This record gives sequence, structure tokens and C-alpha cells, in this order.
Amino acid sequence: MPSASLVFQSIVLGVLLGGLYALLAAGLTLYFGVMRVVMIAHSAFLILAAYLAWYAHRETGVDPLLTLLVTVPLFFVAGVAMQRLLLTRLRPATLTMMSVLLTFSVALVIEGLLGYAFSGTQRRIRLGYSSASLEFFGARVAVVKLIAFGLAAAALLGLYLLMRHSRFGQALRATIQHREAAALVGIDTDRIAGYGFGLGLATAAVGGTALSLDTTIYPSLHWHWIGPLMAIIVVGGLGSVPGAAIAAMTLGLTQSLLQLELSTTWAQTVFYVALFATLAVRPQGFFGGRLAQRF
Amino acid sequence: MSTTQRLSWRVAALASATALTAAGCGSGGGSEDSPDDPITIGVSLPLTGDFSEPGKGVERGYKAWAKIVNDKGGLLGRKVELKILDDQSNADRVVSDYEQLIGRDQVDLVFGPFSTRLVVPAARVAEEYGLLFVEPAGAAPEVFDQGFKNLFYAAPAVANDHYNHLADYILALPEAERPKSVAYAAMDDPFAQGTAYGLKDKLEKGGIKTVVDEVYPPNTTDFGSIAAQIASSKADMVVGGSQYQDGVNLIVALQQLNYQPKMAAFSTAPTEPEFAKAIGDKTEGILAPTGYTQHADYPSNKDFVEKYTEQFGKAPEEDEANAYTTGQVVAAAVEAAKCASQDEECQQKLVKWLRGNEVETVVGPLKWDDKGRPQSAHMIQQWVDGEIQIVLPEEQKEADLVHPKPKW
Repeated sequence: MPSASLVFQSIVLGVLLGGLYALLAAGLTLYFGVMRVVMIAHSAFLILAAYLAWYAHRETGVDPLLTLLVTVPLFFVAGVAMQRLLLTRLRPATLTMMSVLLTFSVALVIEGLLGYAFSGTQRRIRLGYSSASLEFFGARVAVVKLIAFGLAAAALLGLYLLMRHSRFGQALRATIQHREAAALVGIDTDRIAGYGFGLGLATAAVGGTALSLDTTIYPSLHWHWIGPLMAIIVVGGLGSVPGAAIAAMTLGLTQSLLQLELSTTWAQTVFYVALFATLAVRPQGFFGGRLAQRF
Repeated sequence: MSTTQRLSWRVAALASATALTAAGCGSGGGSEDSPDDPITIGVSLPLTGDFSEPGKGVERGYKAWAKIVNDKGGLLGRKVELKILDDQSNADRVVSDYEQLIGRDQVDLVFGPFSTRLVVPAARVAEEYGLLFVEPAGAAPEVFDQGFKNLFYAAPAVANDHYNHLADYILALPEAERPKSVAYAAMDDPFAQGTAYGLKDKLEKGGIKTVVDEVYPPNTTDFGSIAAQIASSKADMVVGGSQYQDGVNLIVALQQLNYQPKMAAFSTAPTEPEFAKAIGDKTEGILAPTGYTQHADYPSNKDFVEKYTEQFGKAPEEDEANAYTTGQVVAAAVEAAKCASQDEECQQKLVKWLRGNEVETVVGPLKWDDKGRPQSAHMIQQWVDGEIQIVLPEEQKEADLVHPKPKW
């Protein structure tokens, strides 16, 4: 039986991990909501952002967080471009299925280019504070994990405010809810969809930078991430950002606590067990709205 | 798919064409051991595909060996000549490659390829033809469980014996200084796990308690929970059966939890050049086994490092050294048996000599058991004064082992 302090430490680690998962999954659910696109390349973009942070740090010594000033706008533009130039060319009838193939190839291209530019050597950003930690009621909280959690919280809050309280957010939600109706009331749904996609990719820039603070990165790392992230957005309800956040937090915490009693291998299966259970019992997801029911 | 298919056909056609011409020119009137003919050595290596990085390393090691031998006048007064084919990291190709080398090209000797996955099928071919098979890679137990009679692994130790020097050192410590509890975390991989469990078996037999025993899959990215369990156990020593990124991530996660063991040993990761760049100045005192270092004080090693650096512009790493060792082992057998040809009698003489004798190599003196397992152990290195240095065994050490290790 694990001691109380170990359980508490695991809860702290689980919450921090869940926060990171939430940020990494947010974009993925957004693409699906706006465009019905399954974006396999999302995690490849995360790793790309992490590499850019690592590269900037190695070359100039700037804190990886500062690279956000460049990568967030850059990824937004790349997202808009990708939607306008690639995804809109897919036939609407087969969009969801074909987007899997298209974004799969994008992921391969990114992985290949990263390998070409930086080789397969596994890299890690060396920070003065990478092993620093704070004491929190007897548990240790690593500074880098706290920063990543803070980034996740800020990005998700920003996303929430944008979706709720701006005209663009209203238009985006209208497009998510019913594209034809949104077009009928005068929303330029094509443009909104492009911006929505850009927004999703911008979260990948934030997520990748958060990831780079505390992970060893290599070009093929993204394959390890896409599975759990897909599971999270299905459990959370496709297209629902708050749903993804809640599912990410729940699964992160469960994974962390299960590791105390089970092996790491079994604890990792929590994502797939949850995915299976969701599809069997409640295919629209546990926190999503009506959207996912239509599929 | 079809382009690669066509491409590989073309490569195969080209390879066999060159092989034919080479065989036509080389053997001329017959492949009897005339003193002027070179000794041809056939090798298949993964020069493209999954294992191309280490495969090219092995190729450089073999080439360095051939050059050094030829510069000294060759073997038995004959020049050596390598015939290297690319198996594209593919286990089917490696079989046909060796069949071609032995059957059609009539090479005199063969050297092994890289990686367990390719060593096993290749060894089977050599075994069928009754050829001596010395190989530079393939430390996993299944290589030695196949009943091969002609196979020898040209490195100091199989995975489970990597930590032997450290185990002896720990068990010889006075009671008060000896770690009392150990936490193990190993990747679910025959090689990485083998290293950690080899040490675990020995320490448990010596009465040292195992308090954590975690196995994680190769795709694990988050080490927070494993680290939390190790930290909470307050084990005196932590052992990681790691490759690279998992070792680094686990070490940082342990540091973040402010866990301060008296001893920390990790496989592979600490010996990589990228390690210090990733962890910074927090490496002090970390131990790691290693099969080869450029600093090892074995007689032939200095010569090898110098000439290799001259030829390739940088110092050799472990893959290169193991390939070179393979060459040294075969050369020693050839010199002793005074023959180098495919005929059964000669090959049996070579095998028999290696069974009973010790060979001086760049990784130290090697001898083998009846399954081809080398009987030495890896050297143990430790990060001391910001540099990775040999601390065990006693006769090779560059620095004293620091115990207990400083805080990280």
C-alpha cells in the first residue's frame, strides 16, 4: 500500500500532467469541431514547435518561452494556409476520412524534415532551472512542470474567453454548431474555418514549447503522443474544448495514480480503455454536446 | 512501393553483377591459397534503413581494420580484401547476402553484420556452410540460445554481465558503506532490461534489498510517477536499465523530486556525447557501464585510436571498436591456425582455436564459453569532475570511484 505522501505526490504530478495533456489536446478537438478534420499532424506540429524552441535556445541562448512570440503567429498563419490551400480541396463528402490521409502525410513530411535538419539525435533544452522544484505541502513541484501547467491554463483560458466573448468566437461557435445556418446569417464560414484551424495550430505552438521544457525530443516522438491525444478528445466529446480539458485532467490523474498499483505499461492503457468504453457506452463523449452525436 | 521495389531490384542486380566480375577477376585460375591472392572477407551490413547509423559505424571499423592490417603487410603475408554488401536492415536480404558471399563469391572468411535481428539469420547461414562466424553486435540472450557452434561475440560481455565490476565493488564495500536498498527501473527491451536485471540478480544474492522494480514500455514519455515511487522508497541506490531519452528523462524527474541516492547507475545514456548537453552540470557521480572507451589502456587500443582518427578524422566509438575487435579476433585465429579458406578443415581449426584461447583486443582480453558468450565484463565509467572517466576495474581506472556520490 503506497504511503499517503506518495499518493499526494502522485496527485500533484497527475494534475500537472493533466494540464499539459489538456493544452496538447485542445487544438485537436478544435479542428474537428470546426472542420470535421482528423488532424494526425497535430502532434508533429507540437514536436516542430519544441524543436524551434530548442534550436533558438541553442543558437542564441534565449529562454524557450520567448520563442512563443514568433512561433504562435507563425503557426497561426501556417494553420490558415494549410486549411485554405490543402484541406478545402478535399471533397466534403469524404472530408473526415481523407483528412486522416492528408494530415498523416503532413506528419511524415514534418518528421522527415526534422530528421534532415537536426538529425535523429535526441535533444533536450538545458535550462538552469530544469531540475529546480518547490515544496508544496510535502510534495515536490518541478518549476518546469509548473510553468508548463501555467502556459496550459493561460492558453486554455484565453481560448475560452475568445470563443465566448468575441465576435470571432461567436462566429466560430456558430460555424461549429451548424455551418449552413451560420452562412445563412452572413458569416463567412470559409474564412472563419481557416482562422479556426490557425487557432488550433497556434495552441500547438504553445503546447510544443511547454513540452520542450521537460522532455527529450526527437523527430519520431509525435507518434507516441497522437494516440493518447485522440483518446482524450473522443472521451471529452469531439469538438468540445472544455470537454477535452476535463477528460485530459481526469485521464492524466488516473494514469498517475494507477501507476502506483499497476505497472507503467498497464497504467498507459487507461487512455485506450477509456476510449473503448466511451465508444461502447457513450459515443458522443462524456462532456461534448450534440455535435458528436451526428457522427 | 513499386519504385522502391524496382530500386532494390536494381541494387541487387548491380550488386550481383559487380560480385560476378569481382569473382571472375579475383579468383582467376582457381581459389586455392596461393600466397599472392588476397584473403577475401565477406560482410553484409545495414548501410541503409533502420540500422544505417550503427551499420555505417561498423563498416568504418571493418575498413580501419583492413587498412591497418594491410599497412603491416597483411595476414599470413596476404593482403586482406573486404567485400561489403548492403542488406538494407532487412533480415531476408542478410540471408541472401551471406549465401551469395559464401556460395557464389567464394569468400575465404566472413564477419558478422549489425544488430541481433540480423545476426541470428546470418549466423544460421554461416553455420550451414560450416564457417567461423565472429560478430560485432548481438548481445541479447537469444543469440546464444540457438545452438550455434561457430559463433563468437566480439565484445567484452553479454547484456547481463555489463555491471559485473560494479556488483563486485558494491559487495566488497564495508557493511556501513554498502547500499542497503536499491530501486530498479528498466525499459521493456531485452538489452536494456538485461543490464539492470544482471546487476539486480547479483545484488539480491548478496543480500541487498530491492525496494522498487519498475518496467516501462519504450514509448514512455512521462517519468514523473516512476520517479515519485523511487523517491518515496528512499532507496540508497538507483539503477536504470535505460537506452537514451528514457534515462535522461528519468534522471531529471528524480532531480526534480530532490531524491538524493548514494549511488546512481544508468545504462547507455550517460556515455552518449549528448548527455551532458541535456543534463548540464548535474551529472556528477552518475555511473555507467561501457564496452569501449578511447582511453582504455589496452596495448592495441592506442594504435587503433590513432590510426582510425587519421583515416576518418574523428575518434572511434563503440560500434567501430566492436567491428575492429571482430577483425582482431578472426586475425588472431587465422595467424594461429595458419590458414584462411572456406574448406571445412581450416574453418574447424579456426573455431577450435578460439574456443581454447584468449585474444588481446582493443576492448581488452577476450575469451568465450561454448555458446560464444564472451567471459569478461564491461568497464564502469563515472562522471567525475565534469568528465566521464573509467573507475572500474582497478587496472584500467582513470579516476577513483566516488562513493557516496555528490548531490545532484
